[in-house]
Amino acid sequence: MGAPRTLAAKLLRAVVRLAPAESRDWAAAMLRELDFIEGDWAALFWALGSLAAILRHATTAWRARSIKKNKETAMSTTGKKVLIITMGALCLLGLAGCAFPMLLLVPDLFPELRHAWWPLAPIAIAIPVIIIGFAAGFLWRKRGPVAAGILLVVLAVAFHVAVHVAKHQ
Amino acid sequence: MKLRLSSQTLLVLDAFLEQAEEWKYGYDLSRVTGLKSGTLYPILMRLSERQLLETQWEAGEPGKPPRHMYRFTPDGLRFARANAAANAGSGLGQVALGLVEA
Repeated sequence: MGAPRTLAAKLLRAVVRLAPAESRDWAAAMLRELDFIEGDWAALFWALGSLAAILRHATTAWRARSIKKNKETAMSTTGKKVLIITMGALCLLGLAGCAFPMLLLVPDLFPELRHAWWPLAPIAIAIPVIIIGFAAGFLWRKRGPVAAGILLVVLAVAFHVAVHVAKHQ
Repeated sequence: MKLRLSSQTLLVLDAFLEQAEEWKYGYDLSRVTGLKSGTLYPILMRLSERQLLETQWEAGEPGKPPRHMYRFTPDGLRFARANAAANAGSGLGQVALGLVEA
């Protein structure tokens, strides 16, 4: 056995050993064909061509796997963001749910404001909304999705108040 | 995914069409088509992945490793025959097979 054929056999055996599972059978098939090739140099060229074919096959399989993986990762990231936005929105709704009964208690707690209270209501609403807006703005850098959830609720409440005021004027 | 029918793929399909029922070996296909292993095997892999070719390890003589063989599946045979008929009609098959000059 000449040196080129020995080299070809060594090369293809290494390819069989190192090839990924989906390409290994093909590499073994190419190695086996080596025994039927006449001419040492022809055997070496066969091995080099086989190496190229296995590399292409393995690369294509690897690319297909990474594309699939990236798609799955993107899907899970989107799901996570939606969950965090919902959590932000629920936090703010909970806060509003606690604050609103306290606003209703103002006339009982401060009887002197009983008649003066409602004209002050827009200011009482505007101040917390502005504070929440700023807080959400600061939160945006570190917890973007939470801030997005909070801002969504603020916008929804602001829209609701605007429609309410427009209807009752 | 659609199979890209290059002139080399047409050569391989044509080689399989001759005595289509018989199993064929990689090196024999390489000699018949004149394709190097780096061109032939990617074509065989694609045909096999698309279920147009079936593969099998030949149980050879004792002590010797088996040899990989290839043959058309029924789908593959239909595909190759339909393709050959279409190309024969347009003359493309002969050009692709190098029988006439393009």
